[in-house]
Amino acid sequence: MKSLHLQGRTLMLLVVLLPLLALFIYVALRSGPLAPVPVTVTTVENRSIAPALFGIGTVEAQYTFKIGPTFAGRVKRLDVHVGDLVQAGQVLGEMDPVDLDERIRAQEAALKRAKALLSEAQSRQVYAQIQARRYEQLLAARSTSEEIVATKKHELQVTEAGLNAAREELARSQADREALVAQRSNLKLVAPVDGLITVRDADPGTTVVAGQAVVELIDPKSLWINVRFDQIHTRGLAANLPANIVLRSQAVELRTGRVLRVDPLADAVTEETLAKVEFDHLPEPLPPVGELAEVTVTLPTLPAAPVIINAAIQRIDGKLGVWQVMNGDLHFTPVLLGAADLDGHVQIREGLKVGDQVVAYSTKALKARTRINVVEHLQGVK
Amino acid sequence: MGKGILIEGLKKRYGSGDTAVDALKGVDMQVAPGEVVGLVGPSGSGKSTLLKALGAVIEPTGGRMTLGGEVIYDNGWKVKDLRALRRDKIGFIFQAPYLIPFLDVTDNVALLPMLAGIPNAEARKRAVELFKALDVEPRAKAMPSQLSGGEQQRVAIARGLVNRPPVILADEPTAPLDSERALAVIRMLNDMARKFETAIIVVTHDEKIIPTFKRIYHIRDGVTYEEAGEGRSFD
Amino acid sequence: MISLAGRDIMHAWGKFVFTGVGLGLLIGITLSMAGIYRGMVDDAKVLLDNSSADLWVVQKDTLGPYAEPSSIYDDTWRSIRGMPGVARTANVTYLTMQVRQGEHDVRTMVTGVTAGEPGTPGWPPYLVAGRQITRGHYEAVADIASGFALGDRLQIRRNHYTVVGLTRRMVSSGGDPMVFIPLKDAQEAQFLKDNDAIHQQQRRTAANPAFNRPQVPGLLDAVIASQSINPYVNAVLVQIESGHRAEDVAESIRRWKRLTVYTRSQMEEILVGKLIATAAKQIFMFLVILSVVSSAIVAFIIYTLTLGKIREIAVLKLIGTKNRTIVALIMQQSIALGVIGFVVGKITATLLMAPIFPKYVLLEPLDSIIGFFAVMVICILASIIAIRAALKVDPAEAIGG
Repeated sequence: MKSLHLQGRTLMLLVVLLPLLALFIYVALRSGPLAPVPVTVTTVENRSIAPALFGIGTVEAQYTFKIGPTFAGRVKRLDVHVGDLVQAGQVLGEMDPVDLDERIRAQEAALKRAKALLSEAQSRQVYAQIQARRYEQLLAARSTSEEIVATKKHELQVTEAGLNAAREELARSQADREALVAQRSNLKLVAPVDGLITVRDADPGTTVVAGQAVVELIDPKSLWINVRFDQIHTRGLAANLPANIVLRSQAVELRTGRVLRVDPLADAVTEETLAKVEFDHLPEPLPPVGELAEVTVTLPTLPAAPVIINAAIQRIDGKLGVWQVMNGDLHFTPVLLGAADLDGHVQIREGLKVGDQVVAYSTKALKARTRINVVEHLQGVK
Repeated sequence: MGKGILIEGLKKRYGSGDTAVDALKGVDMQVAPGEVVGLVGPSGSGKSTLLKALGAVIEPTGGRMTLGGEVIYDNGWKVKDLRALRRDKIGFIFQAPYLIPFLDVTDNVALLPMLAGIPNAEARKRAVELFKALDVEPRAKAMPSQLSGGEQQRVAIARGLVNRPPVILADEPTAPLDSERALAVIRMLNDMARKFETAIIVVTHDEKIIPTFKRIYHIRDGVTYEEAGEGRSFD
Repeated sequence: MISLAGRDIMHAWGKFVFTGVGLGLLIGITLSMAGIYRGMVDDAKVLLDNSSADLWVVQKDTLGPYAEPSSIYDDTWRSIRGMPGVARTANVTYLTMQVRQGEHDVRTMVTGVTAGEPGTPGWPPYLVAGRQITRGHYEAVADIASGFALGDRLQIRRNHYTVVGLTRRMVSSGGDPMVFIPLKDAQEAQFLKDNDAIHQQQRRTAANPAFNRPQVPGLLDAVIASQSINPYVNAVLVQIESGHRAEDVAESIRRWKRLTVYTRSQMEEILVGKLIATAAKQIFMFLVILSVVSSAIVAFIIYTLTLGKIREIAVLKLIGTKNRTIVALIMQQSIALGVIGFVVGKITATLLMAPIFPKYVLLEPLDSIIGFFAVMVICILASIIAIRAALKVDPAEAIGG
């Protein structure tokens, strides 16, 4: 029999060592690689989802009018500035005519000269006519020779030709002048439609080449969004689908619109499909062209089907599937996925039925032999 | 039981050549079983060397030693296992008790039979029996540090006796004790010597106890001289 | 026979346990050091695991994408996809950068993952909360180590991303938490300069008469547009059809596509052998030093304990205790000290030390077992000095004078 003292000592030692040992065993088995992996499970639900497509785009105008001269020249004046609203037919500016006015004046002088020449030719013709008639009467009276009468007739014909020539010359001068005037008026830069000036590329004094735009204007009522969808996410994209639009400048404000068309040409380089989305109501004030917008196109709601969250889906050995929990054991079940919505719900077409339990979250990659510890909430996750 | 101690011409030389020192120059001693003799000598007399040679912890350089009828040394050790010899044939009692502080009183004593291969229970029983004789039984479960000096010394005596050795070597066993206790220790040694037929050599220079010996060996310069003691009774 | 070592320990258990705890803290540090090394290796391995790729196709003659910069055209995957044996390909970009969230920013590895569905190479293979990315833009899945929470808005370059999912143990080889974002955004983030730099670049281009030619209206716009796209990714991750050997597929891509391809084992060699080699050596040296220090301390403690018992040992020897028993006494104490130290060390390393390290500390059971035996060996070796001292004790010392 031991004395109380020794027992006390032994007891003390046990009091210190046993918890230490217990702690050690706990530490060895419950932490580190030997510990069971905490997981949360989710149940396959029968519900309907509304798939949606998400893309980003920029605000663009359907029609952009680039206005510039038809031949090279210098800009004389430009009356409009960026942001000005203009009406169809309004003169926006003018190219420098250089010598065009002088040439019109010269042409006018030439015209007057042609008129003078015409009246001269007319008076010659009248005189020649009178002479010819008189000599015909004289011939009838046998007071002159036939030869002289023939000469007079010929003179008449010459003056008539001269008259015709002068008349045509006048017409030519007139046409020349009109051409110059037309050219002169073409130097005016005129708005083809009602619109908004977006670009003013040149200022008075700048020389521009033929075809170069001096100002650009858009039709503000034709603003749309040129949206790019990753091709992998474009299943179901079609015209007339409703869309939600979030402009970068107005992130809190949700705007509605609809898909106007899906472009027949996709971007082969970026692997994106392009679509045009119209606003239902144009924002006021108008968003600047080029502003970034996020567009969510809502597809029709699908009938109820087994649905899980996409976090549960994993690829093991090349197969897509989920970790199914059966009687506390893990089992990898390959699945066939259907449509998905943007909130992470995915339809299961094959592999699972409603009510099946699958692992949603785990703190480690799972294997078939992994010991799991099903918890309500993973530690450390806020 | 034993045949006591017989030492004949025991020599011990430390070193060799010019620096050699003869610590023992031919010691003769005889202690009968049941007898307690004193061994007295000044420092440097060879007292310790003799004790160590008797205790088989140093090897003498000549002579003959017989313990309990067995020749253990005759110009060379005659037993192979000196440890076993010390354990079984010689009991030691020291100036200080030198108890093992981490063993309780019983185990301090029982350790020796245990070392000799006796089962723990049996060894403890032997120890407790000795405690009865030495009147320390109530403290059997105490730790050495909880005992008084006298009690510790009694436990040490028990340790010396527990393997029933034919010989006990006591090195200044009374040095730390007052005269009353010192005399009690000597009386106890006498009792035990008689009881267990043990030959006991008490090395001492304690004036209080020298008169109690019937025989005293004086040692001086490595040589012993026998002298009759007063053999004073303890009363 | 009773256990002398046990009795001695029981007698002075307070001293013994405290010494053991002190030693334990040292062993805990040693184990943590080993854990840090394992953690680094594990960081590298989970990076490879999480990419779930069999092959990494990178720029020719680079060690990309983790150990060296690598960039290949983002349509390279198409030709690789057509190679025999290739089951899946995915572009991926990696960019280590500060990601801002509100007031603070966190160093992360921003990973651009190809659009698709969960299970695409490069996607986080498992989550701890939220969901995987569903939108092609401006969504992020962040590692929980970054401190981000679901619903947080992150700023990467000039764009804002919403955290929709959280991962765990998805880190770069440097231990930075990963943030997964759609590839197109990541390409942009990798390329995108700040607005001022873009503006400067455009001005620089406009000032170049070769690009800004009055006779060719629109040329400048075209040039600027071509400058503002980033058709590069850092690597193409390839998954192999079952039945094909990774090395064969890698070889045919190397041969026909003239790109550098790494298999999983080669990638691991690059990450573990090259990227973290110096750091690992550093830690290994620390481990060696700590082991030496631990053994020195154990030796010292045991030696001191033995010296304190020299008188008792002399007595024990005198009364006929075998050397074996005395060796056992010292060695058992040494081992007991080692066991207490190891237990305390393992507990402190696991519960106290590992969680406070900023980077992952992986305490492998095998390491613990090796560590245990190392501690035992160290204790046994360390007790040798004390044992020698004890054996040298002359039993005659017990006899005074």
